[in-house]
Amino acid sequence: MSAHEADPLDHPEVRHASPLAYVSGYLLSVIFMAIALLLTLRHTMHYLNFIIAVSILAGLALLAQALLMFRLDLSKSQQWKTFSLILVLPLFVLSVGLTGWMFHTLYPRTMMHFMQVQGADM
Amino acid sequence: MFGRLTLGQIPYHNGIVLGAFIFAAGAGLVIMAALTYYRKWGYLIREWITSLDHKKIGVMYIIVGLVMLFRGFIDGVMIRTQQAMADGPHSAGHLQALHGYLPPFHFDQIYSSHGTIMIIFAVTVVLTGFQNIIVPLQIGARDMAFPYLNAVSLWLTAAGAALVMISLFVGDFSHAGWVGIIPLTELPYSPGVGVDYWDWALQLSSLGTTLGALNLITTIVMMRAPGMTWFRMPFFTWASLSTQTIGLTAFPVLGVALALLSSDRYLGTHFYTGGMGGNLMLYTDLFWIWGHPEVYFIILPAWGIMSEVIPVFSEKALFGYTVMVAATLSIAGLSWAVWLHHFFTMGAGPGVNLFFSVSTMLVGIPTGVKVFNWSLTLYRGRLRFETPMLWAIGGLILLLVGGLTGMMLAIPAINYTVHNSVFVIAHFHMMFLVSVYGIFAGMMFWFPKVFGFRLDENSGRKFFIFFSLGTATTFSAMFTLGFMGMTRRLDYLYDPHWQPLLDIEEFGIFLYCVAVFYFFKMIYVSLRDRAKESHGQDVWSTSRTLEWMTLTPVPYYNFAVIPEVHGRDEWASRRESGFEDSGPEEYEDIHLPKSSIAPAVIGALAFGFGFGMTWRIWWMAGLSLLGIIGVVILRSFADQSGIVLSADAVRRMEQKPEGTGIITDHISPPVAELEALS
Repeated sequence: MSAHEADPLDHPEVRHASPLAYVSGYLLSVIFMAIALLLTLRHTMHYLNFIIAVSILAGLALLAQALLMFRLDLSKSQQWKTFSLILVLPLFVLSVGLTGWMFHTLYPRTMMHFMQVQGADM
Repeated sequence: MFGRLTLGQIPYHNGIVLGAFIFAAGAGLVIMAALTYYRKWGYLIREWITSLDHKKIGVMYIIVGLVMLFRGFIDGVMIRTQQAMADGPHSAGHLQALHGYLPPFHFDQIYSSHGTIMIIFAVTVVLTGFQNIIVPLQIGARDMAFPYLNAVSLWLTAAGAALVMISLFVGDFSHAGWVGIIPLTELPYSPGVGVDYWDWALQLSSLGTTLGALNLITTIVMMRAPGMTWFRMPFFTWASLSTQTIGLTAFPVLGVALALLSSDRYLGTHFYTGGMGGNLMLYTDLFWIWGHPEVYFIILPAWGIMSEVIPVFSEKALFGYTVMVAATLSIAGLSWAVWLHHFFTMGAGPGVNLFFSVSTMLVGIPTGVKVFNWSLTLYRGRLRFETPMLWAIGGLILLLVGGLTGMMLAIPAINYTVHNSVFVIAHFHMMFLVSVYGIFAGMMFWFPKVFGFRLDENSGRKFFIFFSLGTATTFSAMFTLGFMGMTRRLDYLYDPHWQPLLDIEEFGIFLYCVAVFYFFKMIYVSLRDRAKESHGQDVWSTSRTLEWMTLTPVPYYNFAVIPEVHGRDEWASRRESGFEDSGPEEYEDIHLPKSSIAPAVIGALAFGFGFGMTWRIWWMAGLSLLGIIGVVILRSFADQSGIVLSADAVRRMEQKPEGTGIITDHISPPVAELEALS
């Protein structure tokens, strides 16, 4: 029985805990998502630039949460979780990307008013 | 106080529901009376309800799944009977129905519950049960990685199944199909509780399935016996690993899709409505992002079972093991890139439809590889056609029919033509029946290992024959009706020319009923003659993998000593080398988890939460949720050190194994020991 099994406070994951990291992770992800919300509400950017900006902000929020809140790294206690997250990324990109592509071609055929949102070059 | 629940919600005026209630209540009373008369309540609770033993949990999963399979089958009988009766403008109406005997709203609930039950609560649950029982045995582990979580998964699934069952007698079930046709599931179109029952039942069981997936993956990755490298793993374990990877990644998408729908229904949001920035097509997209991987979640374990059964009854190793593993992993990967073929007709651009058409066809390559490998395993084998083999070969044949019609449907032009016709229904029933054939192959194959006696071969064969005749009759007629233009989900059929084929389908259903009779007879005869049918550790004499190495029935500690693995098909090579009788030189202490009532309590509270949310009885939902949190916290303070079985005790039990199996006529040693300690 290793030491951390006897005392949960010695568990490597518990040792990773850091209030500073949690608070900064929370604040950073809130800031990134708030900016994305503002961009969405104001409609000031061109459609393609808007999609790129929101995607980058989503990536930054994800990084803030993964690194600062979940404390994912390559240490022995965290490596499986980091590995799982990396494995899920292709699925995430695949499902979101293909869904985006599908709607991109679907809207002009079914929901005309979205053409205005996406630009007349659709 | 009771939200929307009133006495008027109990449909006692509906003769069919009342009959079902009397049957269910009567059966329940008989079971409870028998438990009381034979004083088995204590045994049931101490040995089963509180058990963390993966085999018992697996058996309970299978029992839940079989009960739901029976319920789903009755729904199927009702659907086919209605359609056979309600064809043509002059077809008679009975029991307040204009045509047939089911009014449209009732019929809609029946096909919704049939699909939901068969996919989510029958096939998925039974296959999860098999993986629970067999995977730890095949990799030489004592239990799952997280035995407590395993029990929680079971009871969450059971809570979901109970919600579906109670919807039969209290309120309605969803009328929006098993897929939750949007916007029919939105509150303005379905103001009743049916959609909520469906929603929470799926949420609870999918949570159970996700936790189960996590558990099985961890078990396979971390708990393999010494020497069991990746490419020495039995093939069913590979299939399970692929399946559970799909489960872990795909089921959360269903959770999100349903959570957004719940937000629409409960909080007034507009995720899936046409206006206010919502998008109803997003639901269909999200549902099938989960839904198509779910198809492979169901089919891969069945193929895993077939890959275990065919070599044993061909008396040779599985042909092309490595390629089979690669094919299985490829299918798991491709399962994430094909979902849009479920809605080719939605109107996406030709480029999108082409992409999903090609990706769907790509699945045919690894699947074809599997069919060839099974065929080449059979080729020049010493074939024995015992019941497991019959079911496995039956599944192989259905796979050809289902797979080739699937290739047809992968072509968007054909898909547009037959979309929403019963041709599609016949196709996916072929595929799901491959899973069902795999399930029965697995049941016949592993039952003797788990319980210590064989299932009756004679009635088992008749069960297979009538089931297969029913399948061929019902679905060949259904394929034809699809080509004739009959669409799905019809409570009234306008074209009298369909009548002969609808009658053939009904006859096929009758054949299924005969098959069900022989299933029950098989169980009865097997139980009656169990003393005659008992046997040693390897009932088939040609088994290949680790689970056959241990005692029969499998003792609660699985292996007296964790075996050292030297190659693929360890048991076959030991038998061929004459080492099958060599026991361990010395025994060791065995650590086992303690039983716990907490998972069953969590399941009961989860049911209370689902029921409260469905009927909007907020205090019930809130208290149940608080109760779950409380039980989890309390459990975290409990002594979780488990029990230790001494090496001497293990030696004694190995020499005289009576009473160490899964079924005992007394309280088993680990439970007795635990209770003595506390």
